[in-house]
Amino acid sequence: MNTIKELAAQRNRRAFLQGSSLGLGAIALNELSSSSAATQPASRIGGLIGLPHFPAKVKRVIYLFQSGGPSQLDLFDHKPDLAKRFGEEVPTSVYPAERKTTMTAGQKSFPVAPSSLKFAQRGECGLWMSEPQKHLAEVADELCVIKSMYTEAINHDPAATLFQTGSVIAGRPSMGAWISYGLGSENANLPAFVALTSNGSAKAGQPLYDRLWGAGFLPGRFQGVKFRGQGDPILDLYNPAGMTREQRRRTLDSLQRLNGDQADRFNDPAIATRIAQYELAFRMQMSVPELIDVNNEPKHVLDMYGPQATQVGKYAYNCLLARRLAQRGVRFIQLYHRGWDAHGNAPKEVAAQCRDTDQATAALIKDLKQQGMLDETLIVWGGEFGRTVYCQGKLTPEKYGRDHHPNCFTYWLAGGGVKPGFSYGATDDYSVNVVEKPVHVHDLQATILRQLGINHEKLTFRFQGRHYRLTDVHGNVINEILS
Amino acid sequence: MRFPPVFIAFHLLAIVSVDVRGGEIDFASEIRPLLSDACYTCHGPDPQARVTDLRLDDRAAAVGSQVLSSGEMLDRLLTDDPELQMPPPDSGSRFSKADRVKLVEWLKTGAAWPEDDRHWAFVPPVRPSPPEIESVERVQNEVDSFVLARLQQAELSPSVPADKATILRRVTFDLTGLPPTVEELDAFLADESDTAYEKVVDRLLASQRYGEHMALDWLEASRYADTDGYQNDRLRYMWVWRDWLISALNNNMPFDQFVTQQMAGDLLPERDFFTQVATGFNRNHRINSEGGSIPDEWIVEYVADRVETTGTMFLGLTMTCSRCHDHKYDPISQRDFYRLFAFFNSIAEAGLGPNNGNSPPFIPVPKSWPNLSAEESAFVEPEPVKVKVQQVSVPRPQPGSKDTVMVLHELAEPRPTYRLNRGQYDQPDESEVLKPATPEVLGGWNQEWPRNRLGLANWLTSPDNPLMARVTVNRMWQHYFGTGLVKTSENFGIQGQRPSHPKLLDWLATEFIRSGWNVKAMQKRIVMSATYQQSSIASEQLQQLDPDNRLLARGPRRRLSPFAIRDAALSHSGLLVETLGGPSVKPYMPPGIWKSISNAKYAQDKGDKLYRRSMYTYWRRTVPPPTMMAFNAAARETCTVRSDMTTTPLQALTMLNNVTFVESARFLAQRMLTEHPAENSDAAQQRIAWAFRLATSRQPTDREVKFLSEDLAAYLQEFDNDPAAAKQLLGIGEKPFDATLDVAKLAAYTLVANTLLNLDESMSQN
Repeated sequence: MNTIKELAAQRNRRAFLQGSSLGLGAIALNELSSSSAATQPASRIGGLIGLPHFPAKVKRVIYLFQSGGPSQLDLFDHKPDLAKRFGEEVPTSVYPAERKTTMTAGQKSFPVAPSSLKFAQRGECGLWMSEPQKHLAEVADELCVIKSMYTEAINHDPAATLFQTGSVIAGRPSMGAWISYGLGSENANLPAFVALTSNGSAKAGQPLYDRLWGAGFLPGRFQGVKFRGQGDPILDLYNPAGMTREQRRRTLDSLQRLNGDQADRFNDPAIATRIAQYELAFRMQMSVPELIDVNNEPKHVLDMYGPQATQVGKYAYNCLLARRLAQRGVRFIQLYHRGWDAHGNAPKEVAAQCRDTDQATAALIKDLKQQGMLDETLIVWGGEFGRTVYCQGKLTPEKYGRDHHPNCFTYWLAGGGVKPGFSYGATDDYSVNVVEKPVHVHDLQATILRQLGINHEKLTFRFQGRHYRLTDVHGNVINEILS
Repeated sequence: MRFPPVFIAFHLLAIVSVDVRGGEIDFASEIRPLLSDACYTCHGPDPQARVTDLRLDDRAAAVGSQVLSSGEMLDRLLTDDPELQMPPPDSGSRFSKADRVKLVEWLKTGAAWPEDDRHWAFVPPVRPSPPEIESVERVQNEVDSFVLARLQQAELSPSVPADKATILRRVTFDLTGLPPTVEELDAFLADESDTAYEKVVDRLLASQRYGEHMALDWLEASRYADTDGYQNDRLRYMWVWRDWLISALNNNMPFDQFVTQQMAGDLLPERDFFTQVATGFNRNHRINSEGGSIPDEWIVEYVADRVETTGTMFLGLTMTCSRCHDHKYDPISQRDFYRLFAFFNSIAEAGLGPNNGNSPPFIPVPKSWPNLSAEESAFVEPEPVKVKVQQVSVPRPQPGSKDTVMVLHELAEPRPTYRLNRGQYDQPDESEVLKPATPEVLGGWNQEWPRNRLGLANWLTSPDNPLMARVTVNRMWQHYFGTGLVKTSENFGIQGQRPSHPKLLDWLATEFIRSGWNVKAMQKRIVMSATYQQSSIASEQLQQLDPDNRLLARGPRRRLSPFAIRDAALSHSGLLVETLGGPSVKPYMPPGIWKSISNAKYAQDKGDKLYRRSMYTYWRRTVPPPTMMAFNAAARETCTVRSDMTTTPLQALTMLNNVTFVESARFLAQRMLTEHPAENSDAAQQRIAWAFRLATSRQPTDREVKFLSEDLAAYLQEFDNDPAAAKQLLGIGEKPFDATLDVAKLAAYTLVANTLLNLDESMSQN
C-alpha cells in the first residue's frame, strides 16, 4: 500500500497548488500551509493561506436557528406598558401601512396585542425573560442579548436565505460553507460543516431548503453535510444490508489498487483525489456510528438535556450531538428548529416551542461550560425575523396571532468572546422599530466571522468576475458586545 | 515544507507558456483586465462608487487626467507609502508580481491606449483564416489548424489519437450521455474503413438519446424544475416544455430559431402551439407562493431573473450587477439593465404563485400531445389572470392544472418600467419611463425590428451581435472539453477570462452563423477534429506544464455528469427504461428527505419509472435529488452554465451504498451469470472481463481480472457460509432477482459488480 499512499500524497499536494479539487479529507495539506501562516493551527486540513486574519476568539460556532420567526414580544422584548394599550390601534406613525405582509395588510384594524406571558428578571444581570424559558433563565448571566436586530426581508424564504447566505437571492454560499472554505477542517474523519434539523412538536413549521447549508458558487465540497434524523445518519453511510465491513474493506482495497493503476497511466491528480475520498468515506463509516450514539453519555448529562436527548432527530438530541460534534473538531454546527411561525396563537405556540427547545438550549450552554468548552465556542440563537405587535386575526387577552415583522427582533449569543449577561440595543415602546444601536443581519454575520478570526471584508471568492463575500458590501462588527 | 525547486520551475513555466505573446503589449487584452480587476471598483464605470474624478475605464478621461503620462500612476504603483500606494493596501485588491511588472512596462513605454479600445468580446467576430500547418496529417478540420498553431507557439506537440475503444466511449457519452454497448464496441473495432468513426458520429447524432442528453445543459441553464422554488416550493407542470426542448434538439432546429421561439414564440407572425410552448423557457424561473408576499416585489424578481438569464445564456454577461447600480466593470449602466428589463415587463402574470399548479399565463395541453392535430396545433389565447383574495388579503391567481403548461403572453398595456433605485421594487425613479432597448455597446438596433421580445430575439441572432454566437459555441466546446475556450463561460465581460484560442473561437462563431446556426453540424465538427480525438493520457511533463489542458495538447479526460453516472449504471445492469419525454418521474430516494425539512412527502414511483433516464427525475428545487446533487448538479434555482467537479466522500458513499447503484450492481451481476451461463474453468474470469468492459469500455488487464477474481472467491465463500446475508443483499431495490440463480453466487458477483461501478474509469471518459 505504500506506493499508493505516496502517490496520493504527492498528487494531492500538486492538486492543491493547482487549484484543483480536494475534498474534506485532504492529505498532508497542513504541512504545506503551516509554513506560511503562523497563526494557523497545526492540525488544520485545507483552508486558505493567510487565514485566520487575526487570532480567533473561538474555535467553532453552534448556530441554533429558530425557523419561523420567534416572537421577540413574547420572549425577551418586554413591554409592560403595552398592557394599558390592549386593543388600541398601533399608530401609523409607529407602524406605517406599507411593508406589511399581504396576510394582514388587508386587515381593517391593527390592534395592540400585549404579551399575555409572564415576564421576570433573571440572573444577576436582570435580563427580562418570559416564563416558558425557565431553563434558559438559569443561564441568563451567560447570554449576550441583542434586542435591536433588523432585516429587510418580510417572508420566510428570503429572510432565512439572507441570514444563512448574506443575500435574499438564491445561489450564494451559506455561512458555514464560507467558513469551511476559509478555515478548512480540524478533523480528518468528519466534515467541517454539519447541518441538523428538527421539527416543532405542536406543528412542524416552515420548510427549510438545501440552499441554507449549500455551497452556492463555492466548490461543492464546502457544503454542509446534513445529519439526518431518519435512516442513515449521513445519506448512504451504511453498507448495503448483507455486506460486512470486511467485505467493504476488500472492495475498497481493490478500488485503491485498480484506481491507482489508472492514476499512474493518466497522470491525472483527480484520480488520486478520488482514492483519498473513498478512504475518507470509509473512515466516516467507522467514526459516525460512534459519534451519533449518545447512549454512552452519563445519565446526568442526558437528564440535563431532557427526555428527548436520546430521540434521534429531536432538537434535544441535536443539541447533544452538537456538543459531540464540537468535541470532535467540527467547526460550524448549524441547527434548525422549525415551528416558530406564530400567526394564530402566539402565546400558546411560543410556549410549545419553548417546551421543545428551552431545556436543551440551556443544557448545551451548561454542558459546554462543564466540559470547559464554552469559552472556545460561540453559540448563536435566533430566527429570520420577529413578529408584529399588532394582532393578526381576532384579539383576546389570552389569544392573539402575530404576523412577520422584519423591523426589530431579538438574537442572543453566548460563549467565547462575547459579553455575558449583557444586553445591547433597544426598541420603541411598541417593539416595532429599533431606537438604539441597530444590528443588521450582515453585522451579525461580520461579528460571527470576526470571532473565528476572519475579516468579513477579506474572505472573498471570485464568481462572475466579481469578488463576492458573505456580507455583500455591508456589515460592521458589533464591537460593543465583544469581551 | 518547501516546494521542490523543479516543481516551482514547471509551475512558472506553465503560467508563462500559457500567457506567452510576442511584441507590444495590447491594451484591450492585457492591460484593461488588470485595471478592471484592481482599479475599477473605485475608478470605473459606476459614478456612485467613484471616490475621485479619475476614471480608468474611459480613454478620454484617463488620458486627459494625465496620470498615465505624468508618472503619477507609476509612482503610486511602486511606492511603499500606504497613503499613496495604489491600489490602497486595505482595499483588498492587489496586483500579482507579474501583472505589476506588465503594468509598469506599459506605463514606462508610453502607455499606449488605442482609440478603438473596445473589449474584445464587444467587437463582432471576423472570420479568420485557419493558419497554415506543416504537419497536415494531424489536421482533420479547421479546429485542428488553430489548435496546432497555438501548440507550436508553445513548443508542444499534440498527443497521439486515442485508441478506438476510448474514443468510442468518449463520443458516445458526449453525444448521448450513455455508454457504448459491448456490441457497439465490437462493431466499431471491427470496422476498419476510413469512415468508421464518422459513421458512429452520424449514428449518435441521429439517435433520440442525443436530444435527451443535450437538453441537460439547457435545463440547468434554464433553471428548469418541477416546483416553484420558494418556501413551500409548490408544484408546477412544465414537462411539456422539456418535451419541446428534446424534440427541437433532435430535429436540429437552427439555433437562431431555437432562441427566437423560446424568447418570443408567442409574438411570431407564424406562431403556433409549439412556438408558444417554447416560451416556457422564460417561465422556468422560480415563483413565490408564500402567503403574505407582496406581489409587486416578486414580479420585479421574475423579470430581473429573465434579464439575468438572458445575459448569462445569450450574452455571457453578468447583468445582475447592473440591477442595483451601474456595472463596476462592464459598460452596462443601470439604465441599460432596466431597458432590457422593459422587454420582459409586460407579461400577463401574477406576482404571487397560486399555491400548487401553474401560474398564469398558461395554456391547456391537448391529450394528444405531442402528436397534435392541425387544429390543436394552433396558437391558443391564454385566459387572463384572475386574482382572488384569500386569507384576508393574499391575492392568488387561478392555478393551471396538470394539463396545462406555462407560456409567455403580453399584457394589452405594458407595465411602465422605471429604473429602480438600488434594485428595490418600491423605489422607482419615476422621472423617466424606460422603453425596451439593448445596450449600445453591444451593437446597434435595426429600426425594422419591433420593440418587443421578438425584436430582442432578432437582435440576439443578428450576425452583428458580438456575443451570441461566441457564447454559444463556447458552451458547446465546454460540453466536450470540460472547459470552454473562454473558461468563464458565464462571463465574457471585462472581468471574464480571455479566450485560450481567440481565433478559433471567432472562427467557430462565424462558421456557426454561416452554416445557418446548424447545431448538429457544429457538434460534428468538434467531435470530428483530431483535437477531440487525441489520447487524454498526460505525460508527467504535460500534466505539470498545462494541468488544466488549456492548450489542448491532449484529449479531454473528465468525470461523467451526475446524470450520465446514474444512467450508465442503469444501462450496464439492463435496468434502464428508455421512454422519450413525458412527465417527471420519482425514482428511489432515501426516506424522509422531503418530509424532514418541508411540508411535502415524496411519493416514490414504482416499476419502470424507477429506471428512466435521470433527466426525467422530478426536480424539487429546495430539496433537489440528493444523488444528483452529490455529483454537483446545478440546483436549478438560478441560471447555471458551468458546473464544478469537486470530489467528496459523499460521492463515494452514494456510489458504494445507494440503492440505485446497489440494485444496478445486482442486475449487472445477474447479467454476468445469465448471459454467460457456461461453467468453464475460467468462467468467473470471463464474466468479470465482460462486465469490466461494459463498465469501462476496455478490456481489463490480467492483473485487474486477478484481483477481482480473488475478491469474488472470498465473497463466494463468505456468502456460502451466510446465505441469509446474501438474501439481504439481493433484497435491495424493488426488482426481484432471478430465482433460478444461486443466491450466494449472485450476491458475490453483486459485490464484484459494485466494485466495477465504483472504478474511477467507470465514472469517467478517458
